[in-house]
Amino acid sequence: MNTVHGQHWLRRWAAVIWQVIGAVNIRAKILGIVLGLVVLIGVAATIEVRLLLEQTLTNQAYEHSVAVARDMAARATDLTLMRDYYGLFRLLRDTQANNPDLRYAFVIDSEGTIIAHTFGTGFPVGLRDANTVTANEHHRSVLLTTDEGDIWDIAVPIFDGRAGIARVGLSLATREQTVAAVTGQLLITTIMAAAVGITAAALLTWILTRPILQLVELTKAVASGDFSRRAQRWANDEIGKLTDAFNAMSEALAQAERERAEREQMRAQYVTQIITAQEEERKRIARELHDSTSQALTSLLIGLRSLADRHHSPELRRQVDDLRGIVGQVLHDLHALARQLRPSVLDDLGLAAAIQRYVADCRARSGLTIDLAMPDLTDERLDPALETALYRIVQEALTNVIRHAHATTASVVIERRNGHLRAIIEDNGCGFDPASLSGDGHLGLNGIRERAALLNGQLIIESAPGSGTTLYVEFPLPATNEERHEQHSVGR
Amino acid sequence: MSSILLVDDHAVLRAGLRLLLESQPDMVVVGEAEDARTAITQATTLQPDLILLDLSLTNSSGLAAIQSLRAAAPQARILVLTMHDDEGYVRQALAAGAHGYVLKRAADAELIAAIRAVLRGELYIHPALTRRLLEDILPQPQPTNPWESLSEREREVLVLVARGYTAAEIASQLNLSPKTVETYRTRGMEKLGLRSRAALVQFALDHNLLAPT
Repeated sequence: MNTVHGQHWLRRWAAVIWQVIGAVNIRAKILGIVLGLVVLIGVAATIEVRLLLEQTLTNQAYEHSVAVARDMAARATDLTLMRDYYGLFRLLRDTQANNPDLRYAFVIDSEGTIIAHTFGTGFPVGLRDANTVTANEHHRSVLLTTDEGDIWDIAVPIFDGRAGIARVGLSLATREQTVAAVTGQLLITTIMAAAVGITAAALLTWILTRPILQLVELTKAVASGDFSRRAQRWANDEIGKLTDAFNAMSEALAQAERERAEREQMRAQYVTQIITAQEEERKRIARELHDSTSQALTSLLIGLRSLADRHHSPELRRQVDDLRGIVGQVLHDLHALARQLRPSVLDDLGLAAAIQRYVADCRARSGLTIDLAMPDLTDERLDPALETALYRIVQEALTNVIRHAHATTASVVIERRNGHLRAIIEDNGCGFDPASLSGDGHLGLNGIRERAALLNGQLIIESAPGSGTTLYVEFPLPATNEERHEQHSVGR
Repeated sequence: MSSILLVDDHAVLRAGLRLLLESQPDMVVVGEAEDARTAITQATTLQPDLILLDLSLTNSSGLAAIQSLRAAAPQARILVLTMHDDEGYVRQALAAGAHGYVLKRAADAELIAAIRAVLRGELYIHPALTRRLLEDILPQPQPTNPWESLSEREREVLVLVARGYTAAEIASQLNLSPKTVETYRTRGMEKLGLRSRAALVQFALDHNLLAPT
């Protein structure tokens, strides 16, 4: 149970730490690593050196002090035995002068009386009994803690203890000063090393991240469809290889895009040609029906009238009238057929008149209420290709409404806004989900989209099941139509 | 006796027409032409009482010829005889100075009456076309203006709908959801008694709501 709990906590903490580390950028990560290493090594070295130095210095000072004390004890033997207090005092003073670390020195005779010491006035209370040594000992040392810091007190027997005891006090202050100085020096070195390390790391990360950032920027460019840019190769390392691979990929994408654009252009040209040919063909047939066939029938009609006028037999007149009725009906049908193929109004009078006519026909044919508003379309003529496209689109859209929408009201609006011509065909019918546009029932819509795209137009569909359908078809109105005229001339 | 100039690019039809017209006691066909240029020359020299004109001529449009014919023979009446039954043609023909408009498919029944009417100084237009022509000027039932009763939001939405914006565009422009836009639109149109977008555009035009922004 506990281990499970522990693992859980461990994982949570790992997650938190990874969140923090993962959130900072590479520059911060590398800087952190370098700084951490330098500081860790610096601090560890400082502590280690400090410990070693302290120990070595202490040992040295200690041994030195024992040597000094024993030397002093040897030299004090005669003076003590002769009770030459002045000589003894001078010995102590000389010894202290020759050893700066010696805080004090004094001699106790065999009775335990202090017979010479280096304290000018007043001997510190309790110092005498703080340390002692027996006759057969080499020396004895005691660490005294005083208000002046730690002091090694060393006692050495004089003349094998028969003449008394020589005592010296070794101050550790110098040693501590040395250690502090060395430690300070080491810390300064560590800081300088850290500074150098950070500079080096910053340079390194700049070298590392610069090509990566460049690649990131270029990847964004590629994502937004710009395949033309290439990454600059910085070094022959892994990033260099990544750069090469990236450039190769961009090149391949650009190539694929060029090919796709070419194919798309060819297809568009092909479709345009087909549409142009189809319109031309329809126009030719419509004109043929209109001009030759209809005129001939009209002649027939008038001839029949003349025939009837000149003969007064009621039987003949009745038959002629019947014939006239038939010819009149055929003429009417022919005319409707020609208009359906391609209305001459579109070529002669323009888009507005043609759409007005078509909408009127639709109303009569389908019984659907169709409202029409073309506030910005005057008699001025647009690019014939555009007029044809818009006419066919309105035709297709209304045909769709009549066939599929089960609508009672439809409306056609053509407006001009911001240099665009927008046709809006709307109905209050059953609607559909525009996302499911692939079905067979929507071939008409795909045709509209296709036709629009050929003239840089676009189709927007707003519809939902049960709430009608609105088609927006928008074309840019070019300032000069001249080139397009020649390319797509369908109208005239 | 009224003199008539026939202008049509179909020789057979001209022959038929000549036969029909000459059988009338008070009409005589004084000339025939199959294109606009010949027609104008003929009109200038013959100065007929009436010109029977087809709108589609060889190499040119009859519409364009009307004005020149009027100039060539100012006292001549011009009667258009054509296949085209779109009121656009009628409008343009009348605007150019024609006095009558007869459809070829009704030529057998109406032509003579039309010629007589035009010669009398009247205007003759094929009855089926008259209705369409007059629809524009017939008084439309004008509802009282309920625009003021609409809420500010409804008005904003309706103006944008009338300007041709999609529901999505309106939604983003007014910071509404498309569904809300639809609601405002439906409610506003109901209040105005409008049944379709086109009716709304017409309403906006009539009430001058589409001032450019």
